[in-house]
Amino acid sequence: MARGFDHLFKLLIIGDSGVGKSSLLIRFSDDTFSGSYITTIGVDFKIRTVDIEGMRVKLQIWDTAGQERFRTITSTYYRGTHGVIVVYDVTNGESFANVRRWLEEIQNNCDVVKKVLVGNKNDDPDRKVVITEDAQRFAKQMDIELFETSAKDNINVENMFLSITRQVLDHKLRTSPNEQQKDTLHLKPNPKGSKGGKCCR
Amino acid sequence: MDTLSEAVANGTATAATRTTKDIVKERFKEDETIEYIFEAYQIKGPEYSNRLLALVSSQSGGTFAIIAFSYLRTPLSSANELIINKVFAIDHNFQLRQDSKSSITTQQFDLSTAEDGPIKYYYYATESHHYEEFVAKVISFKSTMAQHDPETVLNFRWLNDYRQIGEVKQELKKRESEYIVYKDIIIYCATWNVNNKTCSDSNNPLRAWLACSEKPPDIYAIGLQELDTPTKAMLNSTQVQAIEKQWIDKMMDSVHPDVEYEILMSHRLVATMLTVIVRKQLRQHIIRCRPKSVARGIFNTLGNKGGVAISLQLNEGNICFVNSHLAAHMGYVEERNQDYNAIVEGIRFDDGRTISDHDHIFWVGDLNYRIQEPPGQQRPGPLSDAQTYELLLQYDQLRQEMRRGKCFEGYTEGEIKFRPTYKYDPGTDNYDSSEKQRAPAYCDRVLWKGTRIEQLAYNSIMEIRQSDHKPVYAVFQVKVKTRDEVKYKRVQEEVLKAVDKRENDNQPQINVEKTVIDFGTVRFNEPSTRDFNVYNNCPLPVDFSFKEKDIHAICEPWLHVDPRQDSLLIDSARSIRLKMNANVRTIAGLLRKIRASDNFDILILHVENGRDIFITVTGDYQPSCFGLSMETMCRTDRPLSEYSQDQIKQLMNDESPEYRVTMPREFFLLIDYLYRQGSKQVGAFPSYDSRLSLGAQFNSVRDWLDTWSDDPFPANAETAAQALLLLLDLPEHALLEPVVENLLECTNKSQAMDYISLLSPPKRNVFMHLCMFLRAGIESQFYDLHQVASTFGRILLRSTERAAWMDYHSRCIQFMRLFIDTDVEAMGNGNEGAGTGTGSGSGTRAGLQA
Repeated sequence: MARGFDHLFKLLIIGDSGVGKSSLLIRFSDDTFSGSYITTIGVDFKIRTVDIEGMRVKLQIWDTAGQERFRTITSTYYRGTHGVIVVYDVTNGESFANVRRWLEEIQNNCDVVKKVLVGNKNDDPDRKVVITEDAQRFAKQMDIELFETSAKDNINVENMFLSITRQVLDHKLRTSPNEQQKDTLHLKPNPKGSKGGKCCR
Repeated sequence: MDTLSEAVANGTATAATRTTKDIVKERFKEDETIEYIFEAYQIKGPEYSNRLLALVSSQSGGTFAIIAFSYLRTPLSSANELIINKVFAIDHNFQLRQDSKSSITTQQFDLSTAEDGPIKYYYYATESHHYEEFVAKVISFKSTMAQHDPETVLNFRWLNDYRQIGEVKQELKKRESEYIVYKDIIIYCATWNVNNKTCSDSNNPLRAWLACSEKPPDIYAIGLQELDTPTKAMLNSTQVQAIEKQWIDKMMDSVHPDVEYEILMSHRLVATMLTVIVRKQLRQHIIRCRPKSVARGIFNTLGNKGGVAISLQLNEGNICFVNSHLAAHMGYVEERNQDYNAIVEGIRFDDGRTISDHDHIFWVGDLNYRIQEPPGQQRPGPLSDAQTYELLLQYDQLRQEMRRGKCFEGYTEGEIKFRPTYKYDPGTDNYDSSEKQRAPAYCDRVLWKGTRIEQLAYNSIMEIRQSDHKPVYAVFQVKVKTRDEVKYKRVQEEVLKAVDKRENDNQPQINVEKTVIDFGTVRFNEPSTRDFNVYNNCPLPVDFSFKEKDIHAICEPWLHVDPRQDSLLIDSARSIRLKMNANVRTIAGLLRKIRASDNFDILILHVENGRDIFITVTGDYQPSCFGLSMETMCRTDRPLSEYSQDQIKQLMNDESPEYRVTMPREFFLLIDYLYRQGSKQVGAFPSYDSRLSLGAQFNSVRDWLDTWSDDPFPANAETAAQALLLLLDLPEHALLEPVVENLLECTNKSQAMDYISLLSPPKRNVFMHLCMFLRAGIESQFYDLHQVASTFGRILLRSTERAAWMDYHSRCIQFMRLFIDTDVEAMGNGNEGAGTGTGSGSGTRAGLQA
């Protein structure tokens, strides 16, 4: 347990420039928000460890530059990613229209990956142009879970990150039961208490 | 550094500012005192790393240790910045050696402990008077420790909290009081020497022993000795297992009937068995459970005597049960003590825990201590008599040895209010009537050690008579450390957040002066450089490097980066030089890049263990004819110098079949110039390779062409020839693409012409015009036919794939000869073109004007 976690996952945040990818990350990792806009020129990451059903999951979350000219270069960062967070700005219709392109990027650069769709800046109904129903319909069609968030007002951010983490964790536990045992059995008691560990025979 | 030293020196805290010592103190528990802190470098080879050495004492452990911290910045602002680097227990093996002869000054010293074997930690003190005080204190503590008997085990358990456990665990441990509650559980300890009797003697005699407590126990720890196994043990393991199982089944049948139980673990050493049975509901709270045994008895190895122990963690409490069968016979007190010590020292569970590393320890067994004196009163009367017991116990060897500190140090035993449990005639309550007349004794005992333990009962069961011993039991109420899950979750969340924050805050960071490097005007064959700075203003040294991209290079070929990687110390900067070179080797790629994007390249500046920064390299490429396709040049309507990068980009991406001129003016100007030179052009095309080494005059030729200059040609015929070759060779695609492959297969001119007609008009016109010019030159004997066919063939039919063919070169020559060798042409179609090396002296010069 010296490493301090049971699972380590890499998450990636993508989406058009200015939709609030970095703000979502900072809200989740530092619980802060800064109104001033600084374009991400590169790829930044933060870590945060969460407890999911007694398992300690360390997340390494990569925040990518959204600008068009970095598109090719950021696609190289998709490798090894467990989950992708596709962000649009609910006050910017174009950023929502571009979601399709971002999903294609995922398709082209990742193997098996979990996704969530995030409509950020959902804090001012007057400025909202991407209505929930449309986004919901699209998300359903694409088979992705939708979250409308506000990094500014801290709405739904935690939920969204925990949801993608759960998806990734479920997938891992389902696909590699042996690994699950290796990772968790000796660290935690079996919560159901039905099957004993190897010490109890 | 200085600030820290001062803080150390001052020692005391003012109301406003906290000293380093105050901050370091936060890393330790209540009863741990920082005796001294002291700053030093740790020396590892050529590296010196900052360390803060804290000399700490623990009240509960009664021991001292030095803890070496690494830290991120000075002055310290919070305990979070301290990272435990190494822990030195000041025990018998600890050594502080001052290194006077080897090095710089006497201020160098090394620390070593037994655990680290020969590894020594070298330190170098930063200030001599602190150093002397530190050494004096360490020596005095070390001598305090030396006064202890070397046999006694010093208590360094408190140090476990600082050793090799994750930060999260350290933090959680530190904040334990915020989420720990104590939960009462009932532990039932029992011991019985069964005297080799089988367990199936009677129907259910054990319930009287195991189900006699009022409240149903949560945990049973049942120790048996002298199971019916010793001789068979080595012979037939299945049979032994069957016996073992019978006993365990019997126990399960006999435990308190009100609740459901399950076997947690049973462990056996020859005939000594320890079985732990727990309430079913409790099972899920048992996190860890490990057995261990120590064999004693014959040769101290056979295990007919010895101890069996089970260590378990229930919630946050560590519990240890021991069942032992110690040396028998009245006179063997010392042997019993030795057995006890051997078990204490020998039991080390798989996680490294010893018996004493538990919160609650219960020791049961046939300890075999006898009643020494007076002989006349050993045999109590038939009636129970508290006074008799008291008298007997005065002569009880166990109590005597415990008083003398020879065994069971720190253990407690409850008041004994039952008759000696040994030795009875089996089946009766009568003491030994055999010839040996063994004196009765309290052989069978239950002792405990640890905190928050209350004994509720301690007794023997007279009515179980099949053995020569009576069973004994003790019931305890124990307050076990338990996490309040809600509080724990909250604390854990806070701890994880704090630890994550520390990791995020301490991520290596560098700043770059700018993320867009603009080269301004970039011209063909004119290298330029740009410098920019990277700074490290984070609190640790940082390594950076430019990351390889998909193409396995850190940048495009027209760029050069220096340095590609480096280290930055705290508060230091490094200048990075970028060189841009649009030359004969890189121009095709650069133009392709310009066609597709708005920058020359994007570099990835990677910070080791940190972020990546994208550095965009841009500039205005000043279009030149070199590298442009014939089609693009035929779309221009003014000199290339008057075009911008964007305009040329548009022309490059224009795929319409509309052209402004039949062939590029730049090409025509060069041919025209060369043609006019007449005999001066002799030897102008010396070799294929000559095209790449550009002379000093080349750029003036470039400008002459790109401006459609009216001035006289600024160089000689040789430079013009070179420029012509480059004009044909530098575009991304060979002039005769996309029919190169077909042309290489052609054997006659009419067949070749069919393919040539498929080329775009600009390419076709350039080719025909070029051939006419060359043929004329060959006819005038200005050039060698073979030489020219070779050079131009390889340029016009450039193909990386075909170049691998064995006869690629000769096929190129053969093709060219179809068009430039007058003999071949004279021989007409279908001729295999076996002309001589030189053409005839006469030729048509009028063709050029066509």
